[in-house]
Amino acid sequence: MNSAMFLSLLAVAFTGALMLLMPHFSSPRYLFAVTVPAGFRASEPGRAALRRYHWWVVRAIAGSAVVVVGVAQSWPDLAVVLAMLLPAIAGMATFLRERSLLRGYAAPPPGVREADLAPESGHLPRWIALALVPLALPLAAAAYLRAHWSEIPARFPVHWGAAGEPNRWADKTPAAVYGPLEFGAGMMLVLLLLGLAIFYGSRRTPQRIAVLKILVASVYFLGLIFTGVGLVPAVKIPLAAFIAVTLLFAAAVIAWGYKIVTDPAQPVEATLDQYWYLGSIYCNPQDPAIFVQKRIGFGYTINFGNRMSWLLLAGFVAGMAGLIRVAR
Amino acid sequence: MPPPAKIRIDLNSAVPAYRQIVDAVRVLLVEGALPPGSELPSVRRLAMDLGVHFNTVGEAYRELAAEGWLDLRHGRGATVIARGLPAAAPERLQEFRTRLRSLVAQMRAEGVPPARIAAELRSLTESLKS
Repeated sequence: MNSAMFLSLLAVAFTGALMLLMPHFSSPRYLFAVTVPAGFRASEPGRAALRRYHWWVVRAIAGSAVVVVGVAQSWPDLAVVLAMLLPAIAGMATFLRERSLLRGYAAPPPGVREADLAPESGHLPRWIALALVPLALPLAAAAYLRAHWSEIPARFPVHWGAAGEPNRWADKTPAAVYGPLEFGAGMMLVLLLLGLAIFYGSRRTPQRIAVLKILVASVYFLGLIFTGVGLVPAVKIPLAAFIAVTLLFAAAVIAWGYKIVTDPAQPVEATLDQYWYLGSIYCNPQDPAIFVQKRIGFGYTINFGNRMSWLLLAGFVAGMAGLIRVAR
Repeated sequence: MPPPAKIRIDLNSAVPAYRQIVDAVRVLLVEGALPPGSELPSVRRLAMDLGVHFNTVGEAYRELAAEGWLDLRHGRGATVIARGLPAAAPERLQEFRTRLRSLVAQMRAEGVPPARIAAELRSLTESLKS
């Protein structure tokens, strides 16, 4: 088994596990993103829907594994892409089918809304300042590269293939050397701004604070990854280190998010089924919230029915385009 | 430390949302849960938390301000102010009597004994400080 095949099978296993977990990664109040009566998951129609879903996803995982093994020898990069895409596409298709079947069991729309009348709980917590600390990492890396400029080779790798071998190189120029660090610092700032937008543009719930904590942790993660990538011209860092840190971070975030989302004691936003499309797209022009809690997974999604959401989205896309331009 | 004051509305109710907000906040004001000087969330924040239009909360705040409970300053949200007790006009007393009569009749029609209704009314009246 070559490394591309191993990496592809690992990706199939990871994506497949996420797909199997997907219907469980939500509040007990929802099943396949449909509002269901209390205890519905344990009922016969609920269990039958989950059984059908799992059975189809397992078959999709097995089929994906066969396909990637078949193409990994000749097209290793394509194998990795297929390894992530095939189980995800099959899982989403099965999810939407079950969602459609479950609509007949949907609970009546919740009408009761509760709100805190204290204004102070709307203030940003002080620990948000900790998110500024990792911004020092790319700065320190840039200072290190500048101090060791003479040690940087005339050409250095900037991209690696599925087999772990470099497949793209860059010449030693200030733009090529500092580009990843600038991009990383920009991404960290974008993430921080996104966290602030979610905090002020969503309802006051405990999940809002939990998401903010995860975003602060993500700023640290991005700081580490982009600082590592930025140091590659001068320091040899094994690819495995990047993969290990990424997998560890992803696993920790998923585990923490799963614990919060599936906790029956956690309050759930009373959004109505009729405004959710494909289980994950929310569009309600009557709802002044810009961000709402996802029904599947952990975190927030944008309310496409709010004009402010489109402005934010445009700002986000413009910011990302600017960053990509800087990185080039 | 007392728990933070909360309001609850039912969007499926026949009573308009702005009326439910006015009634719920007024109960807290009369009971003293929101003493003078308390700041209420901004219109934008409360509308977002309740999932209703900004105008719904704005209308509720304006009505409470017209009753003398709130001071609304542009950009500074709503602040509870000290309010003197006005003398209820005879026609308003008659209106309240009609509403109470209708409510008591509904309670009786649904099987609540008269003694229980009297006890509930007494308990509610005693819990109001002003």
